[in-house]
Amino acid sequence: MKEIVVISGKGGTGKTSITASLATLAREQVVVADCDVDAADLHLLLKPDFASSNDYYSGHSAKIDKNTCIECGACIKACHFEAINSDFVIDEISCEGCGYCEKICPANAISLVDSHVGNWYRSSTKCDNTLVHARLGIGADNSGKLVAMVKKEARQIAEKNNLDMIIIDGSPGIGCPVVSSLSGADLVVLVTEPTISGFHDLKRVYELVDSFNIKAACIINKADINVDICDQIELFLKDKGIEHLVNLPYDERFTNAMLEAKTIIEYDNGQLKALVEESWSKIKTLIK
Amino acid sequence: MKIAFTSKGKDWNSEVEPRFGRADYILVYDTETESRECIDNTSIRDVEHGAGPKTAKLILDLKPNVLVTGIGPGGNASRVLDKANVEILTGYGDKPILDTCMNLIKELSDK
Repeated sequence: MKEIVVISGKGGTGKTSITASLATLAREQVVVADCDVDAADLHLLLKPDFASSNDYYSGHSAKIDKNTCIECGACIKACHFEAINSDFVIDEISCEGCGYCEKICPANAISLVDSHVGNWYRSSTKCDNTLVHARLGIGADNSGKLVAMVKKEARQIAEKNNLDMIIIDGSPGIGCPVVSSLSGADLVVLVTEPTISGFHDLKRVYELVDSFNIKAACIINKADINVDICDQIELFLKDKGIEHLVNLPYDERFTNAMLEAKTIIEYDNGQLKALVEESWSKIKTLIK
Repeated sequence: MKIAFTSKGKDWNSEVEPRFGRADYILVYDTETESRECIDNTSIRDVEHGAGPKTAKLILDLKPNVLVTGIGPGGNASRVLDKANVEILTGYGDKPILDTCMNLIKELSDK
């Protein structure tokens, strides 16, 4: 089974639009995993049915047992996050789950419980992919743990249905969730744009990809908005041996497609669709 | 000499886990005493951030001479392992551990 991870380093380069377009082309042959959970938006384009929903727990929050509590106030004094009010009620959003209050409570009235921070789903999308995705509550953040879990689920579904490909929408940046989405990957598709920050973040995330020795390919999106930087990116790709898939022009049809909640594959019948199709067929050759 | 493997399972018929930080098990073979050891690392599933450095620390305590894994540790985990003088062999993801171990021992004794 092959894992293709789409990442960008910088946000707003068109990573998710391209991931959704690839998923639209691959249809039921792939399992799609949305590991960009902080700002999950793949579902807006792929219209999943949220067929199965599962609780996701991460971290802890403190609970005070009213019957055991002697209201001594030790916890209120100890809490660095001012999460406990004068009625001895813990504000779940302020509580960091550090466990200090649990340790110092003389009446042993405080315990730490797992926090329910969101849900993860197994869905079918409008283009017949299976999609594994998650939705986090307010204040909850993505983590290597959640990414690892979403990917594991996607792998199991692929194995069960004899599918040999997983497309992963990776998270931005180079932190823990990105490391977790890269681990086990067979090909990384870098989506970049010719801006100073786009190029900078491409170099930064490539350093990470390279340290893992994963094969990399690149799509330069909005390639015509800055020809100079685009040339520099192309030189960089050549120098590092990164497969240059295609250059996509800046085109408002991408935005218009998005406004209709469609991928460019569904919206366009001309050059843009052809370029994404070309990328997909190159990707398939690269992971063979 | 001690050889450590990131492993998908508990027993020696398992395959090498390609992920480093979130490997569920670490298998260790000691060529001198011919002893085999399995370290359970499944608690790493509950770790939200920094799984790599945590697993690296576990390996540091085991003091292996060689670590066999898949795509390799990330930046932070590498910095931990650098201190331990462990030779890291990457690219063994999904390979059967027993065969890999026997081949390695042969290779190393041929040297």
